[in-house]
Parts: sequence; C-alpha cells; structure tokens
Amino acid sequence: MKPLNTLARYPFLKDAKTYVKNQGIAVTELIKDPLYDRARSIAIERVEHAFEHKDVGVRQLSKESDCIMELFSYPLSRMITCCINDSYFTRRYALGEAVRFYKNLIKENTFFLVDIVKEFNLNIQFDGENQHLSIYFTDYLTHAPTRYKHWKLVNRELQNGYISLSSKDLSRVTQEALRHRINNELLDKPCHELIQKTFSEEIQRLQNKIATQRKNNETIPVGKLDVKKLPPCIKRILADVQAGENVPHMGRFALVSFLNSLKLSTQDIIDLFNTAPDFDEEKSRYQIEHITGGVSSTSYKPPGCDKLKTYGLCPSEEIDRICKKTHHPLSYYRYKWKIENKRKKKKSDKKPNKKNEA
Amino acid sequence: MSGVNLTKESLAFLQDQFRSYYKKSDLSVPDRFSRREYAFVFFGGKGMLRHLGFSKKKQFQAFLQKKAPMHAYYSTAYYQYPDAPRMNEKEWMGAELIFDLDADHLPDADNITYETQLELVKIEFIKLVDDFLMNDFGFPIESMELYFSGGRGYHCHVKHPSVYQLSSGDRREIVDYITGRDLNASVVFHEESMGRAQIKGKTVSTGKRLRMPKPDEPGWRGRISQGLIDILEDIVQSNDPLLKLKGYGVSEYTAKKLLDDLSENRILRIKQGHLDQSTTIRRFFLNNALRKKAVSFAAGETDEPVTCDVKRLIRLPGSLHGKTGFKVIPVSLDTLDDFDPLSEAVIFDKTPVLVDVGVDVTVTLKKETFELTTGNQEVPLFVAVFLLGKKLANIK
Repeated sequence: MKPLNTLARYPFLKDAKTYVKNQGIAVTELIKDPLYDRARSIAIERVEHAFEHKDVGVRQLSKESDCIMELFSYPLSRMITCCINDSYFTRRYALGEAVRFYKNLIKENTFFLVDIVKEFNLNIQFDGENQHLSIYFTDYLTHAPTRYKHWKLVNRELQNGYISLSSKDLSRVTQEALRHRINNELLDKPCHELIQKTFSEEIQRLQNKIATQRKNNETIPVGKLDVKKLPPCIKRILADVQAGENVPHMGRFALVSFLNSLKLSTQDIIDLFNTAPDFDEEKSRYQIEHITGGVSSTSYKPPGCDKLKTYGLCPSEEIDRICKKTHHPLSYYRYKWKIENKRKKKKSDKKPNKKNEA
Repeated sequence: MSGVNLTKESLAFLQDQFRSYYKKSDLSVPDRFSRREYAFVFFGGKGMLRHLGFSKKKQFQAFLQKKAPMHAYYSTAYYQYPDAPRMNEKEWMGAELIFDLDADHLPDADNITYETQLELVKIEFIKLVDDFLMNDFGFPIESMELYFSGGRGYHCHVKHPSVYQLSSGDRREIVDYITGRDLNASVVFHEESMGRAQIKGKTVSTGKRLRMPKPDEPGWRGRISQGLIDILEDIVQSNDPLLKLKGYGVSEYTAKKLLDDLSENRILRIKQGHLDQSTTIRRFFLNNALRKKAVSFAAGETDEPVTCDVKRLIRLPGSLHGKTGFKVIPVSLDTLDDFDPLSEAVIFDKTPVLVDVGVDVTVTLKKETFELTTGNQEVPLFVAVFLLGKKLANIK
C-alpha cells in the first residue's frame, strides 16, 4: 500500500480505492455526516475547478485529515458529475482530473511512473539500468495526442513495435489514458438520488453554467455564409467547385454536409455551386438533398479533420493556428465567430467609455 | 487501355470460364467467415451487389458457382450483423489492417508496360512488409497474409491481435509513418554545438553543426542515414556526378552548387556522421533519402483510404479478377523476389479459342509473348480470357 498522501494525490488508483473501502464508511455517511463536510466542499471545488480551469486544483495535504478528506472527495466528485448528467461536462471533468494527474506525475521519479502505468494496462518496457522507456505502438496511438506534429508516429523512434519516449512523454500518454478511463466509467453511470438531493443547489448552478457557455458557443449566424471564416480545407473545395474543377466525391460531400450543418438550405447551397461552368441544377439538387437528408433517410454529419486528411483534402501547407486547436472544420468556423464576437464586444464596451470621457 | 465493347457472347464466355473455375476449386474462406460482409460485381451487371452475409461455407461456394461473379469482395471488418443494409446497423466489431499497393497511382502508368508496373509495385511492397511492418512495427511474418491482387498490385492483410481495434485515425498515423509524411528534419538531424566561449560574461556557442544519426539507429533516423549514404555513394562513384545529381531532380544550378559543396573532406565528414550547416546539402539529402526509403507515393502508393477505412471491402483471396482472369493468390516474402504474377496467377489452360482482336497488342503471359494484330485468330484460353477481360478482343 502506498503512503496516504500519495493516495490523496492519486485518488483513482487501486490502492486508494481499497483504502476508502477499508474505512467501511457507507455512501450515505459520506453524503450526510457533518464529519465529511470538508470532503463534500472539496468535491464541489474539484468539479467546478475542472470545468473552469481544466484542472481539479490542489489543496494542502500536510495533515492526515487533509489527505483523508481529499481522498473521499474523489468518489463524491464523480457522483456529482454523474448527476449533472451532461456528456460535455463529464469530458471536462475527466480532463481536469487527468491534467492534475499529469502535473503531479512529472514530478515523480521514473520507477514510480512505471509502477503507476501498470494500472492503466499500457504495454511498456522499462530498462532500469539506463532508464530507457518504450511503449507498444498501439497503446501509443490510442492515447498520444498525435494531432501535434512532434507526437506523430513518424517523428518517433519505432523499433519492433515499441516507441522510445521520455518519462515526461509517458506521463502525457498516461494522462490521456486516465482521461479516457474516467470518461468511459462515468458515461452511463446513473445519478445517485441522495447526491441529487444533497447537492441540488450546486448541481443546478453548474448546469446553468454549462447552458450559458453552450449558448455562447452556438450563436452561429444562420443564412448568410461568411467565407472569410471558412477553414482552409472547405475554402479550397468551395473555390474548386466554383471554378468548375473536378472535385472528388469526398470533397463535394465534405462541402455540402459542412454547409448543411451551418443550416444553409439546399437552395442556398445550390446558389453557391451555381458559378461552376458545368453546373447542372437538377443533378446538383438531387445530390445535395441526398446528403442533407432530403432524399435519403440519413442526414450526414460533415467529416472531421482526421477523415479529411485521410482523403487528402486537408491542405497541409495552409494549416494555421486555429486548425491546430480544433479537430473539426465546424469548430474552426465557430472559433472564428467567437473571436469576432469578442472583438465586437470589446469595441462596444469601449465606446460608451469614450463618450463619458468626452 | 480498352479497345472494344464486349458482346453478350463474350460476357457469357467469360462467365462460363469463371464458373468452371469456381466449380473445380476448393476456395478457402476468410476467418470469421460469417461475420463478414460480401459483395459482388457480375458480368454485364450494373453496379455492385453488397451487404450480403453467409452463414455456411457450402452456401457461399454454391453462390459463387451459380453466379460466377466478375469480381468478389469481402469486408476487412467483421460485424455483429454483416448483412444489415445500412453501415451503422452492422455493429462494427473490428477490422484487419490492410495495405493495398496498386500501380493505378503510378505517375505515368500508361507509358510503362504492365510487367514493369508490377515490378515497381513489388519493390515497394517488399519495402513495406520487410522494412516497415516487420522491422519497425514488429509484426511477425505469420501474422500477415500477402496476396497478388489479380490486377496491378499487391495486398497485405495484417491479422495481428493488436490491430483489430485500431481506429481510422490510428491507421492514418501508420500510413503517415510508412510514407514518411510530416517527418520533421529536426528529429533526424540534431544541432550540436561545437564549443562554447565566454564573451563579456555570457556563454555563447562558437558554432553549430548537424549531427547525423548512425545508419543502424532504429526507425526513420537510421533509415534517412542509410538513404543519405546510398545517395552519396551513387553520386561519388558516378562518371558524371553532375548528370547523376540532375537525375535526382535538382536544377543545373543547384547541382553545381552541391558539387562545389561536396569536397572530399566534406564527404568524409558526412560519412563520419557530421552534416554541415549547408542548407542546400541538408535539404537535398533529407528530401531524397526520404523519397528513397519511404514506401513511395510515386511508384505504387499504398492506397491511403484503403488502409484508413475500417469498413473497407477488399478482393477475396482465391477469387478471380474480372479484368484479367488472374487468381488472387497468396505470395510469400521469401519467394517474392522471383515471383512472376503473369505466370503464377494465370490459371486457365491452353485450349485454343478463336477471338477477334480489336487493337494491336503484345501480351506476355506464362513466359510466352503473343504479338497480336487486329482481326480473327486462335489464341490459348488463358490469353483469350485476359484479352476479353481487358476489353481488347471479343469472342468469335
């Protein structure tokens, strides 16, 4: 069994679970007993901090009671997350736990790290003598953030199925493994009635926060398309279509499903295609309606960055800063709107001030 | 390259020949047989019949014998409900990892002969299986099935337990690795400080050089080094280094500059593992070593969407390719060097058949060359099937 303050910092480990279990405290006690007031308030802090700062935060762990409260706050946080019952929130919470995990992990020595990694069923090799670490490539692919260039498999040393990596990088991979694990564990877990009752106020408050954030994200103007905000891939396909160039099927599909997701009508989309020299309105209408769900029974979602890359539709030389932040052309478009809205807001906030000065 | 429209008689002839093959052969079926989706294209038919599932091997063989399809495919994925009409109802359970190297993508495919195309693809295929899948990815040879596709290329099916659950994005990473896409120069060449000096109390570097990886280093680092040394030898040992350099696709100006830069002293240093800061040299070597060692897109690219698509249909091993009459046959890495698809995948006999050739054409099959001019003539059955499949002749 690891020491108590280690368990408090890594409350998702098996040892931590065993410790909590061995204390023989009933869930109802944890939720009701005034003795655990502090654990409950830490639980809320964890969840809220994760949602707002992508990190569950740190608290002092100098006394034994600090550690115990920290340890008990973890299962409570999970239960509260389940009651908030929102997959986006659950993902944020999982990320928050995982990020804190990483920050703690990089301060540990390699032996400790290797020991922890075992709990995540990651197939790794460790040569203690020269501290050389490697991981089996499928585990690497499942968890490593390969959307960043230096994390791509091609930029790693691969031999006999194993990739060499530093302990810092292994910590990052393990972070993702924890994120996936927590996310999967909480996904379909029902809400505990007593939690709902006890924390109803906090749960309501957090749900409102999510709703507000969601509303801000969704204010995409409908109707007119702002070409300037299109991601490079879609911009290029649109330009090719309008020039009457031969665009592969997947390209046309990506464009139409993308525009459809921005709630452009079939007619709006046809009008965009209209400039192509080989334009055939009837044929286009049929094909477009097939994708938007007018003719066939399914309405298709636009392909993400992964798929576009696979089909060679992602112009790698035009990838910009925003592309790197997002995984989907729609997120790119939304992001650009968000920036502009912020800018506009700033401007409008400033204007009245100037008047006052005058 | 197609010359004629096939007559009804020709289509019926081909179908009869295919049927007689399916009746005689004891076709082995894919593993997880009843979990796979099957699809067929028929002689004279329009489009593809897909979303079929079979529960018994006998039923499947009876189908092939009765319908004698022009093309037969199975899904690399296995499903809970392989015959569900919509993809999202099939319930995906996993998929083998597939590589499809095909001469279709060769830049000037029409200007080189079929034999040469197949040779070029084969070189790439050996590189793929031996260098990458076995060495770097560590797949044991027993976990891979290799096939001649019956057309213009080769297929590799990786059936290692670790691959079945890989997502499409994971598979794309594997393709990017094999093709060397997005390889960072800084991963290969390390900047190394040659010395330090104290100037006004500050430590500054007195110069930098690039350290090259050793050729026996794992993965891409060693591979680039090997490629680099290969190219260097190639140029140095040539009678006309300038011409040789131009052969690598550099301009006269750059070639001259490179040669000026490549002093004897410098070559020695490169071989010792030090690449100087000359940008021209660095860029030239990195690009060309990469092109040399990657499974090349120029000659038989791995058809990327095939590898990345986790719900792909691929030609059924043991079936016949409708455009050539060749059989999709297994090949082994040991004998691949000497493998001649244009003999070994030809399964029809020599019975003479009267055909009407539509275009002048030379065909080499079973090590025999047939120079054919337009008009009626007798050819062996295997040549007839090939000509009809390629739409170069009709049955008389």
